[in-house]
Amino acid sequence: MDLVSNLALGFATAASPANLLFCLIGVLLGTLIGVLPGIGATATIAMLLPITFQLEPVSSLIMLAGIYYGAQYGGSTTAILINMPGESSSAVTAIDGYQMARNGRAGAALAIAALGSFFAGTVATFLVAIFAPPLTAIALEFGAAEYFSLMIVGLVSSVALAHGSIVKALAMVALGLLLGLVGTDIYTGTPRFTLGIREYADGLNFVGLAVGVFGIAEILRNLESEKTREVLMARVTDLMPSRDDFKRMLAPILRGTVIGSALGILPGGGAILAAFASYTVEKRISDRPQDFGRGAVAGVAGPESANNAGAQTSFIPLLTLGIPANPVMALMIGAMIIQGIVPGPNVAAEQPRLFWGIIASMWIGNLMLVVLNLPLIGLWVKLLKVPYFILFPIIMAFSSVGVYSVNANVYDLYAVAFFGLVGYLLLKLRCEPAPLLLGFVLGPLLEENLRRAMILSRGDPTTFFTRPISATLLAIAAVVLVVVFLPAVKAKREEVFVEED
Amino acid sequence: MTILKALLGAVAAVSLFSAPASAQTYPERTITVIVPFSAGGPTDTVTRLVAESMSKDLGQQVIVENVGGAGGTLGAGRVAQAEPDGYTLLLYHIGMATSATLYRNLAYDTLNAFEYVGLVTEVPMTIVARKDFEPNDLKGLIEYVKANKDTVTVANAGIGAASHLCGMMFMNAIGTQLTTVPYKGTGPAMTDLLGGQVDIMCDQTTNTTKQIQGGTIKAYAVTSPKRLKIFPDLPTASEAGLPGFEVGIWHGLYAPKGTPPEVTDRLSKSLQKALKDENVIARFAELGTEPSSEADATPAALKAKLESEIARWKPVIEAAGEYAD
Amino acid sequence: MKSISFDTTNALCGGLLTAVGLFFAWQSFGLELGTAFRMGPGYFPLVLSGVLTLLGVVILVQSARVHGEPMGPIAIRGMLFILPAPIFFGLTVRGLGFVPALFFTALIACFASHRMRPLWAVALSLALTVFSVLVFSYGLQLPYQRFGPWVRF
Repeated sequence: MDLVSNLALGFATAASPANLLFCLIGVLLGTLIGVLPGIGATATIAMLLPITFQLEPVSSLIMLAGIYYGAQYGGSTTAILINMPGESSSAVTAIDGYQMARNGRAGAALAIAALGSFFAGTVATFLVAIFAPPLTAIALEFGAAEYFSLMIVGLVSSVALAHGSIVKALAMVALGLLLGLVGTDIYTGTPRFTLGIREYADGLNFVGLAVGVFGIAEILRNLESEKTREVLMARVTDLMPSRDDFKRMLAPILRGTVIGSALGILPGGGAILAAFASYTVEKRISDRPQDFGRGAVAGVAGPESANNAGAQTSFIPLLTLGIPANPVMALMIGAMIIQGIVPGPNVAAEQPRLFWGIIASMWIGNLMLVVLNLPLIGLWVKLLKVPYFILFPIIMAFSSVGVYSVNANVYDLYAVAFFGLVGYLLLKLRCEPAPLLLGFVLGPLLEENLRRAMILSRGDPTTFFTRPISATLLAIAAVVLVVVFLPAVKAKREEVFVEED
Repeated sequence: MTILKALLGAVAAVSLFSAPASAQTYPERTITVIVPFSAGGPTDTVTRLVAESMSKDLGQQVIVENVGGAGGTLGAGRVAQAEPDGYTLLLYHIGMATSATLYRNLAYDTLNAFEYVGLVTEVPMTIVARKDFEPNDLKGLIEYVKANKDTVTVANAGIGAASHLCGMMFMNAIGTQLTTVPYKGTGPAMTDLLGGQVDIMCDQTTNTTKQIQGGTIKAYAVTSPKRLKIFPDLPTASEAGLPGFEVGIWHGLYAPKGTPPEVTDRLSKSLQKALKDENVIARFAELGTEPSSEADATPAALKAKLESEIARWKPVIEAAGEYAD
Repeated sequence: MKSISFDTTNALCGGLLTAVGLFFAWQSFGLELGTAFRMGPGYFPLVLSGVLTLLGVVILVQSARVHGEPMGPIAIRGMLFILPAPIFFGLTVRGLGFVPALFFTALIACFASHRMRPLWAVALSLALTVFSVLVFSYGLQLPYQRFGPWVRF
């Protein structure tokens, strides 16, 4: 069988001692840098990218893939331990992961994230190996109208992200969408809401926003009652998930894997939705939705799996079309070009060693990640025992370096301070940052695809209903809406939100 | 007041000390080349290849710093304000010329803020379409789009991008305005072209070569004066029906205004050497381009190029009425 | 409803969001709106700011009906020292260079806690700077000048 021989070639390539070493170094470096507070996957990869330029092509890409997984896992670790997501996907992990940590269950949360990621990574790797070409064909069917409808599904579902007032959650989404539009309008070149500051012409930096509204707001909250604050962090009960945890994480991991794999294929920002979508689904079908936002196991397991599966399948458009699905993939292409490989539709045929080597190393990288990180959990959790007044200057220093390293734009640092203030204000006003972040990533995509769909259809709005995939997605959005506002469900939900209002 | 004066004095003293970098001993420390785009893009790739080779000749590390944003004008602005000591350089493409018109309030004066080192390379463009697009040659394409100007869509990677410039030039050349569909970057634009969501695009060979070879898109012409070695059967635009239609994404190396001529000359020499480096030539070939000739890799040639390109693009951009601010 | 009383948190929240919505709407009017079929840069933001303003008003109205917990203490000292830290880094990283900028950034942040002794703060900032320089500057070769033009003689 072709697949077997291809995979054999891949593993033969990836499992050479040198490549195994580079994979290990990549995973290790990615984890170590990514785990520094305020330095997420994008910043980590931007920092580590030049190191890989010196290596031969296959090794360089294998190491880079390792860095990618490591950085993502490192980012999730800081999201869980100190509420510092460096990426949109780990922002979702932060919601319940950080609450678990505050309940003394940081070790369990980290283990769940690692195991969920590994399972999802394994499944998604095989999906990439088996179905890459047909899946690519599906992805190409997605035009502007389809993306718009997909984003609508995401927006409608976002309500579930909130565990407080729904109206406030919606307001946060709207605010996030508006903040996402800051920058140059790509259709006319008009700068919008930049207040005349040219440094914001490319929009607000996601890392700056996330570090501000999540991390800094949390630091300030911890500082407000230093004298009376009980030392929450020192109380760590169990390092490993309990039997009950395993039972409760199984189904979410499976569902997260499916959602992540499916959305990750779409090159136009589908992967961004994966973690959010998984969280929504888990909360919707959970028999204990009131646990979400207070440290629900499913709220960590689902999104983390979705996130990692999406990360894996987002290699599909890169490998089959030579098209990057996200900024990280764009960096990968850059690395390939530097190595003299211009990625395109023929990479698999022209460079089978490279193509299958990368796929095999994806799985090896995931395996190393688990092997490396499960024993490290004890160490990460111990970090929580560092007194807070020592921890936060460290966080501030690393965040500053991390944010600056993404684009060497000092205005991104000013944005960190501003959004730190905004985040703290929102926290005081009992508004949640996660819907804001979702709006922020969706805003530009939503508008861009809406306007592009209208241009392509020559101003005919029925395009959203006459294109079958788009129509299906809109139908799903409608169903979700109906479910939300169905009286029975509404009653149940009000029960959930009653303590807020 | 006295404190203020003392401070001012100290600042003046510092700047006096640091200003004249001795040209004889240059370079004494690491040189930073600023690329005004993010890491991994075509300009970044070109820069890293050349920088690596220049390091060997100069005996000092030449490192690349990515300062992206606002179509490259933020990075250029940074270099315009840098100390003119030869340790901060800029590698910027055709955008150096077009941003002078696209941006109506640049933070620097394009023609007076830089010293010139030399041209690095000129990447050719290709006119391409989705693979099931009807016309089969450039003449047919021109007839077809003129006849169907209300339905044909032209993709580009955003204002100021190579594909945007070439698209404007193309519509200008055939005298027909088509519906333009902007994207955020080449990736999504190419995806929609592959998926048949848009009709045509004009983009750098860096982005189109592999797709053309793979048969996933249709190519009509290259915009260089000569046919390309990798596509011997693909005619130039001039041959195929658009006489004089030449667009290339040229890259130049600049230094801040006031950099001593000895230093820029030294850099030019080093650049010329790097452009003859076999590794650089081979990698450039894979990107579908060639290093600039020794005559072009000189300050005078770059200065002339910049001046002529600003003059050439100004009317095209003004006619299209599309500005980036 | 017994009497006119407000949940101050929600009243403030609603008021602020309404104000922000109106600000964005005002900014959007300065942009070309276009039509629903040919949207200009201002169209979509205007719709969104309308939605935000509306939601802000709803929260404001609701604040008269329900009560939540009080806002609690405010981290004044925290804000005074934490927020300026990244700003200081941004202002000085190119001038002073990576090393001094990072040192002072950490030092400023240290004073956000009253439990931090000055000597400890200096020691922590120093350790942090040494670590970062080793990792980022020497290890990862990030292209930042260790000492910038303001401190170079």
